[in-house]
Amino acid sequence: MTMPMDEIRLEDLLADVLQPVEPPERFSDRLRETFSAIRDAAADDLTGWADELTESELDSLRDPRNWVRPVAAVAAGGVATGVLVVVELRRRGRRRRSRFESMLESTRSRTGL
Amino acid sequence: MDEPPTQEPERSEQDRQPPPESKAETDRGFEQLYRDHLRDVYSYAYYRVGDHHDAEDLTEQTFLQAYRHYPRARRESDGRPLRPWLIRIAHNLASNYYRDRSRRPQTPLDSIEPPAARHTTEAVAEGRAELRAVMAGIDELPEERREALIMRFALGMDNREIARAMGKSDGATKVLIHRAIKQLREGLDDDADG
Repeated sequence: MTMPMDEIRLEDLLADVLQPVEPPERFSDRLRETFSAIRDAAADDLTGWADELTESELDSLRDPRNWVRPVAAVAAGGVATGVLVVVELRRRGRRRRSRFESMLESTRSRTGL
Repeated sequence: MDEPPTQEPERSEQDRQPPPESKAETDRGFEQLYRDHLRDVYSYAYYRVGDHHDAEDLTEQTFLQAYRHYPRARRESDGRPLRPWLIRIAHNLASNYYRDRSRRPQTPLDSIEPPAARHTTEAVAEGRAELRAVMAGIDELPEERREALIMRFALGMDNREIARAMGKSDGATKVLIHRAIKQLREGLDDDADG
């Protein structure tokens, strides 16, 4: 009859068997690109729209009643995360700090989006 | 005449909250979370589903869900580490994965090649057989017990973290791990006695 395995020996074996598994490098790169795509897609939606605005339209955005569109666009970032095809969404990579973006930051802070 | 004591104005719950983070800060925080725990989530997914292809899918979906809910999780975490929350997302997704497809892992753990063991050369053959037996034993455990062992040994989580990830109390988690190891040891002893 063999000796019963003691707990410490078994825990050593478990540590050997269940070693951490490194994700493949190409997968880590792909995942990083996915998040960049999500961020860029949301940012491009907003900056593209802001580019079309005139000064008076920008001024009107100081009124919270006119915030529906930017808030919806920010929320779209969240919707996009549920869709795994976002990798296809890579668009222009430009990111510009504008008056609109400053306002957007403030909107996000207020809405928690 | 005595001045009345100055009273602090009452502060609402909202006033006591830290100021909300900017999107850039949130993204930086998430990136750090991703860097710190990609291997944890991947390891968990791999040992749950048993192959790299499905582990990649599960890991990707876990981080996408985490990204979506990250600002809220961070606000509500009260400074506690977010790894249990992340693993809980992976756990829920893995459960759905099996429920939707009505299947168990396609590749059982005992068919995964055992890692190179840290043993002397003469003990390698015996050691590998022992490791295979342990793998097969883990595969036979009920899902919850197997999962707790994965979190403990592959991810190095302590009882408290495992408890949070599994939605259990610390005490129940301690018992769960104890029973998992006991069942595994008894199974290995039975096999050895033949």
